Amino acid sequence: MIQQGGRAWPLLFALGLVAGAAGSVALLRRLDVVEVAGSSMAPGLLPGDRLLVESISYARRRPAAGEVVLARDPRSPARELIKRVADVQGSRLQLRGDAPEASTDSRDFGAVAVDGVRWRAILRYWPPGRAGRLPGASG
Amino acid sequence: MLTVRNLLRPTRRVHAHCDIPCGVYDPEQARIEAESCMKIIEKYDASDDEVFRARCIDVKEERAELVKHHLDVLWHDYFKPEHLEKYPNLHETFWKATKQASKVKQGVDAGAARELLSMIDTIDEMWKSTGGPEKTRVNGRPS
Repeated sequence: MIQQGGRAWPLLFALGLVAGAAGSVALLRRLDVVEVAGSSMAPGLLPGDRLLVESISYARRRPAAGEVVLARDPRSPARELIKRVADVQGSRLQLRGDAPEASTDSRDFGAVAVDGVRWRAILRYWPPGRAGRLPGASG
Repeated sequence: MLTVRNLLRPTRRVHAHCDIPCGVYDPEQARIEAESCMKIIEKYDASDDEVFRARCIDVKEERAELVKHHLDVLWHDYFKPEHLEKYPNLHETFWKATKQASKVKQGVDAGAARELLSMIDTIDEMWKSTGGPEKTRVNGRPS
């Protein structure tokens, strides 16, 4: 019995390593880093800001008003937008830029489908002087 | 190789997009990036960590490029022919300032970065005296 137990440990250890690695990869695939272009989220987000985004929350729940999200531009799907959720209307989201006078958003292209919104911006890590959680980011 | 630097490198750009020339202009945008360049050069000079210094150069070049971009937008989009009448040296001022931004991009001379700041301040005065704060910022510009 003791001998069998002794042989089992390396196996358990290896299984643990594999599970840990798989878990880390799964987590990494749900985190990403992006760079902001354009000024429609000024003054909160400026061009060149680098953000951490995650796709964990919206796998479990819907986006909430006030959150900063990534969404495909309905008029030009190659372009990924960053905007704030102004309102949730059933399965549609109203998106706005924080600088409404200098933003193209749901006022122009209408509400977007909630299914297409997977990523939430949670914090800025660059530039270091303005690093931190994003204003309005919840949870 | 999986390094911290690779992890922090953005994988894509996301657009805080505005597809109308919205008429919002402010030399402050260029100045903030130019201030970054100056501070980064100071930090570069104060450090003997080669990795840190390499990062400084990387980021400083990026910021200097943004200075050029913001100055170009002001030049092309904000300033109009009537402003040229008031400031006949307008084109030369911009030409020199964007050249100075290139110089800051290429080197690590804090003096060059300071010179760039004063050139942007000259442009700022032109912007202010042509009604920039009232015309191009929402509710005027916070002072």
